[in-house]
Amino acid sequence: MSAGEASYRLRVFGAVNWRGLWSLYRREMKRYFKYVIEALGGPVVSSLLFLAVFSLAAGEEAYGSIVAGSQGPDLGAFIAPGMAGFSLALGAFHGGCYPVLYDKLEGMITDVVGAPLTATELVIGYVFSAATMGLLTGIAVAAAALLVVDIQVLALWRLLLFGGLLSLVMATLGFLVGLWADTWDRCSAVETFLVMPLGLLSGSFFPLDTLPELGQAAIRLNPVFYGVDGFRSGFIGWSDSSALLGLPVLAALFLALFALAWLLIRRGYKTKP
Amino acid sequence: MTDMAQMTPRPRTIGLVNWRGLWTLYLKEVRRFLNVFTQTVLAPMITSLLFLAIFTLALGRGELNFGNVPYPQFLAPGLIMMTMIQNSFANTSSSILISKVQGNIVDVLMPPLSPAELTLGFAGGGVSRGVIVGLSAGIGMSIFVDVAIHNVFAVVYFGIMASMMLSLFGMIGGLWAEKFDHIAAVTNFVIVPFSFLSGTFYSIERLPENWLFVAHLNPFFYLIDGFRFGFIGHHDGSVWLGALIVGGVNLALAVIVQRMMSRGYNLKP
Repeated sequence: MSAGEASYRLRVFGAVNWRGLWSLYRREMKRYFKYVIEALGGPVVSSLLFLAVFSLAAGEEAYGSIVAGSQGPDLGAFIAPGMAGFSLALGAFHGGCYPVLYDKLEGMITDVVGAPLTATELVIGYVFSAATMGLLTGIAVAAAALLVVDIQVLALWRLLLFGGLLSLVMATLGFLVGLWADTWDRCSAVETFLVMPLGLLSGSFFPLDTLPELGQAAIRLNPVFYGVDGFRSGFIGWSDSSALLGLPVLAALFLALFALAWLLIRRGYKTKP
Repeated sequence: MTDMAQMTPRPRTIGLVNWRGLWTLYLKEVRRFLNVFTQTVLAPMITSLLFLAIFTLALGRGELNFGNVPYPQFLAPGLIMMTMIQNSFANTSSSILISKVQGNIVDVLMPPLSPAELTLGFAGGGVSRGVIVGLSAGIGMSIFVDVAIHNVFAVVYFGIMASMMLSLFGMIGGLWAEKFDHIAAVTNFVIVPFSFLSGTFYSIERLPENWLFVAHLNPFFYLIDGFRFGFIGHHDGSVWLGALIVGGVNLALAVIVQRMMSRGYNLKP
């Protein structure tokens, strides 16, 4: 009896290992905050540059409504929240891709796989921390844009809901890519050839009706479009698509990607020998 | 005696210029980026096409013209130049910094190459990357935009001068930097802003009066303006003055890099 009291006892936890999950999340965020200036400064500077060159290139046309024949937003008010949505998506993708790849390349993934975390907890830890990074990027860019463009927060619930869901989708996508990739090049290749086209051609910079029918149909197949469009409507109260369509699309995509990530981790894909 | 001399290898005699060494360094630099062709050539080409798409779509609603030139035709040369600028810089800066961090810079410093030859070899690699990326971006754009050449000499001269200038800047950056963060910061906060704000996307007539003067002090402006003149025949500043200025800046930069190399700045203990 006395021997049992002297030695350490096993920690007992219930259905969820909350402490483990929180530790993983916190580790990811701590790592992120080591280079937070670079992670946020880059997107903020490039967004402001984009805003500047768009306004300068458009000249006086920048002050008219960007939507044909209506009281729609002007160019700056349209592009600034679009930039924030795009930066949020890209930030979440980076946050999902690089940490898991780094852990794999450095062999540190064993520390995570070996810990008493279920596949669900492991994926949640990585994906939700990455989504937080995406949200932080979006907030930083939006805050910078609020200083130079005449927009305000009209519907906070739209910002949080669409921003959060878009961030989760891109974070899970990034996590999957990081899990699959064996080298840094693979991550940046996916970024250049998939994420950038999806992000830039998502209507972040132009309203749908600028495009011919076929182009509009193509953009409606792009999930990032629903995220950016819904996120932007939280600032300008105008959107190309309905929230009733956008939210289910994003939620379904997130669940599908999450399920895939869960399955891969459970099977030990590229994490266990 | 003669038998002995034939058996021991004799040192290669090198004239004024170590051509073989220079060529080897140049080849090494070119193969380095061609090895990751997808990242170094294809990726910038795709990015520049995306930029063309979003700017044309976002600004294409009205009949936006610069001079007599429709906006996409005005934009295309600017984007090609921007791509060349960013990639030449990336090539030399990353090459030198990676060699420094990994320690294999000694492989370049030990061989019988003079500082001037080192400068030329590295810069040649950067210029090649700039030209290859610029060509592929131009070919990609010509599918969507009517890219006609008005003056081929201006295109070639300003294209090579731009790649050269940014290769040399990249070498200075690579020599100065000690971590990858340093180069990322210079790229994000210096090179990208300069390449964006030097008239890539708009005619500098759009700038407020007191900014015009500032724009004329910026060597990137002359690169873009002269290069664009070669395509559409429209220019904001004087092309001859621009040609002189960029040539002079390149000469000065080459001397600076040669001095840094010969002193072994951040290279030798």
